[in-house]
Amino acid sequence: MTELNVSSIQRFSVGDGPGIRTTVFLKGCNLRCPWCHNPECVSPETQTLCYKNTDKKTVSGKTMTVDEIIEDVMEDVDFYRESGGGVTLSGGEPLLQSKGAKELSKGLKERGVTTLIDTAGCVPWENFGDVTDFADEYYFDIKTADEKLYKDVIKGDKALIFGNLKRLIELNKNVVVRIPLIPGFNMSEIDCENICEELNDIGVKRVDLLPFHRLGSSKYEALGLTYAYKDVLPPDKAAVGRIKEIYDKYFITNIE
Amino acid sequence: MILNKLKEEMKNKPSGEYCPNYFRCKGYEKSRESDPSKIRADGIAALFTCPAPYIYKNDLIVGSIRPFYTVLSENEKKKVAEYMLKYPERNFFQGFDHFAPDYFTAVKLGIPGLIESINESVKNHKDDEKAVIFLQSMKTTLCALIKKFEAYADKANGLKGKDGYDDNRLSKIAENCIALTKSAPQSFEQGLQLVWMLHNCFVSEGRYAMALGRIDRYLYPLFEKDIKSGLIDEDYATQLISNAFLKICESRYNGADDVVNICIGGVDEEGNCSVNGLSYCVLHAVADVNMPGPNLSARITEDTPDDFLDGCLKVIGTGLGYPALMNDGVNRAALLRKGYEQKDVNDFCMVGCIENFITGKQPPWSDGRFDPICFLEDIIVNNGAAYLDGIGSMDEFMALYTQKLSKGAEDYVKRIHAMSYVPEPEKHTSPFLSCFCDCCIERGRDINCGGAKYPSVHGAVLMGIGTVSDCLSAIEKTVFIDKTVKLSEIAEAIKHNYEGFDGLRQTLKAAPKYGNNDEFADKYAVWYTSTLSDMFDRYKTLDGGAIYTAMAANISNIYAGRDLLATPDGRLAGRPLSDAASPTYGCDERGVTSTLLSVSKPDYTRCACGTVVNQKFSPSAFDDGRREKLLKLIRVYFARGGQEIQINSTSREVLQDAMENPDKYPTLVVRVSGFSAIYVTLAKEVQEDILSRTQQSL
Repeated sequence: MTELNVSSIQRFSVGDGPGIRTTVFLKGCNLRCPWCHNPECVSPETQTLCYKNTDKKTVSGKTMTVDEIIEDVMEDVDFYRESGGGVTLSGGEPLLQSKGAKELSKGLKERGVTTLIDTAGCVPWENFGDVTDFADEYYFDIKTADEKLYKDVIKGDKALIFGNLKRLIELNKNVVVRIPLIPGFNMSEIDCENICEELNDIGVKRVDLLPFHRLGSSKYEALGLTYAYKDVLPPDKAAVGRIKEIYDKYFITNIE
Repeated sequence: MILNKLKEEMKNKPSGEYCPNYFRCKGYEKSRESDPSKIRADGIAALFTCPAPYIYKNDLIVGSIRPFYTVLSENEKKKVAEYMLKYPERNFFQGFDHFAPDYFTAVKLGIPGLIESINESVKNHKDDEKAVIFLQSMKTTLCALIKKFEAYADKANGLKGKDGYDDNRLSKIAENCIALTKSAPQSFEQGLQLVWMLHNCFVSEGRYAMALGRIDRYLYPLFEKDIKSGLIDEDYATQLISNAFLKICESRYNGADDVVNICIGGVDEEGNCSVNGLSYCVLHAVADVNMPGPNLSARITEDTPDDFLDGCLKVIGTGLGYPALMNDGVNRAALLRKGYEQKDVNDFCMVGCIENFITGKQPPWSDGRFDPICFLEDIIVNNGAAYLDGIGSMDEFMALYTQKLSKGAEDYVKRIHAMSYVPEPEKHTSPFLSCFCDCCIERGRDINCGGAKYPSVHGAVLMGIGTVSDCLSAIEKTVFIDKTVKLSEIAEAIKHNYEGFDGLRQTLKAAPKYGNNDEFADKYAVWYTSTLSDMFDRYKTLDGGAIYTAMAANISNIYAGRDLLATPDGRLAGRPLSDAASPTYGCDERGVTSTLLSVSKPDYTRCACGTVVNQKFSPSAFDDGRREKLLKLIRVYFARGGQEIQINSTSREVLQDAMENPDKYPTLVVRVSGFSAIYVTLAKEVQEDILSRTQQSL
């Protein structure tokens, strides 16, 4: 039976796609975005989070069979049906476990439940190929249009990522591009224009902007890690508004 | 805006002390009657006619408690106390307050029409002297009410030209008050004026938690007529309603907080969805008042329009927490089980916090606290190790517990009977209140002496469904399945408040908990609800009405917990029990969908009195794109048989409180895309980020 390395399963996830969704956070990521808000999903190793200001401890990392996950998420099927929701695979990079993701989305499809894949896209196209017959929607994270920044800061391969995005769109898949707005990284006018132009050339239609927040900082602390963005303030509403105006020229844009 | 000006005016606390009984006693003093009801009616008449009316500069609808403030000498105080001893009132357990008057008939007939009905009934009872005397006392109070309206009209006219008053508004007030002395209300404004003044009268009698009930039903014909003719628009109607409702908060003058339940939505007599334009006006008026006091309930049916439910969520999202959402299907099924006629069930409303009530057709309601956890504790703490460890199976344990509960229910009912017994009912009548309860006029009988269409009901408020389920789950898992723990060990640990038993406590805490959609623990909640309802179904109130069950602890779960030792779920001594029908705080770890799946498992058509399930959401859940998900969440929960949900938006204040008191909010979740966090685990500066986000979205 195919197994998946799961960090956590979160119900009533209202920010992870249409309707009421259950998000399965898969563990392990091949990018190293320094602002990441889910640090417990980066390493594939099981980790314990010990929160300092309460005596709370949680474990990230649990091997679950596809059947176990399906049984767990199907508990909420009434909520998915009523709201047009379903299951979101997030992480980490869910497509690093594309064989399991395929089995899971296939099993859900057989039960009439939709799957949304929240990916950063830095995986071989074959990994996408595993899920394209079964996944219903994609949230595709794009962090920058600068190849060097991708390589140096995020440890990612821009050509591979944009190539995958282009192929998904060519296959007529339902794709929303999601862009985190990171202060000092991709928020200048020129950064935005560059991203917009490249995405527009590929044929992207919908973009969600996700303003940076540092809600993940206690998780770094709980893991004994240092968070580079610990003291970075979230962008103010006006700055986000100005950026939205740029994106609005090209896409149906939404601020999450 | 006039409402804000009225708020400002109301900040001015009246001088003297609140003592409506002072005026009532003037009537007792002067009374030449010998019949107790007639003497009482003279007292009520004085209560209505002696205090000088008070009209706020920004009143549109008049009726204030300010006139009941007066400066009293010690001698006068003594005299009032003596009279009140001589003519005592019923108490809460004896059918005094917590009542929803029949405003439908009052609005339809008006005061003159009600007097006419009384005159008719006198003719029909010409051979029944007792009935005639009681009818005459009812009439006395209504005639006094007419005088009260006249006095208010005079006052309004007299205030014309006075600083800060608006002559046009005063003319309107005077006109409305006079019209109500002559006929049934002819306009929405008059209808509302009548109802508000009646409410003021009940309050002056000392009655608390008097519901305004289904205002969007009984005022709708007048509303519809006036809207159609163009006499008023929705905005003006909303303004009138909020102008009246704000004065519910006058009770704060005397350090009280009245709970006036107002019910919107639901169904008409035939069972069809009855949401109308007035329902929205009431909703918006309560939002405009934006203060606790008008306790809004919304009856939600399967065919309640999404738009209305969404309107409710918008108001909840302002941080007000109202309306409470009531699943109409479950509540009506629960009441039907008690044998009421279908059309009366369809017209039910709530009194107090959430308690279901057959509007204007049964005596005032009462309740009491029943603590099932005590009987569990009794078995464990008051028996020796040999006895405890001799219990061979969970079934055996449950049989013992059920036996204890059964005896407990019997004792409870005996206590309630003793407390609700009134030795000389004819001396404790309510001639005014009886005018607003179906059948009292027709029968010429007091509301508590066979006048009401249905007998009295009592609600046994069951405490700690979450705590009890968690305890039973822990006992089954550790003692009878894993066999890693002995019952006698649990007893020892409880006696020592788990001091020195930390390992055992962790084992018990690790057992399945109610609220995670886990059958192992949830089956005990199902058992709890049906077993206890069965037990109370065996008993009746003194006049033959039902003993309902409720799970609506309000905050009494905190008090109940204070007196209790530690419990087998790992709870420490003195800590609160689980609240109302909710799982234990912090134990429903899998998220709100799982919580609601668990909470909808028990058969709540057994809880005719009502239940409360509290849920908190961060303000972003009420944003325009997100609110629909909340709405769907509620639809599924109700479709599965959930009875009630009370949603709170975690306001800035709550988030701030959670920073200071993380223990109170163990499961408060903050959500953003691709992420969510338990709020109390976040660092202070990050909590500040969320606070500023919250501020932005308001």
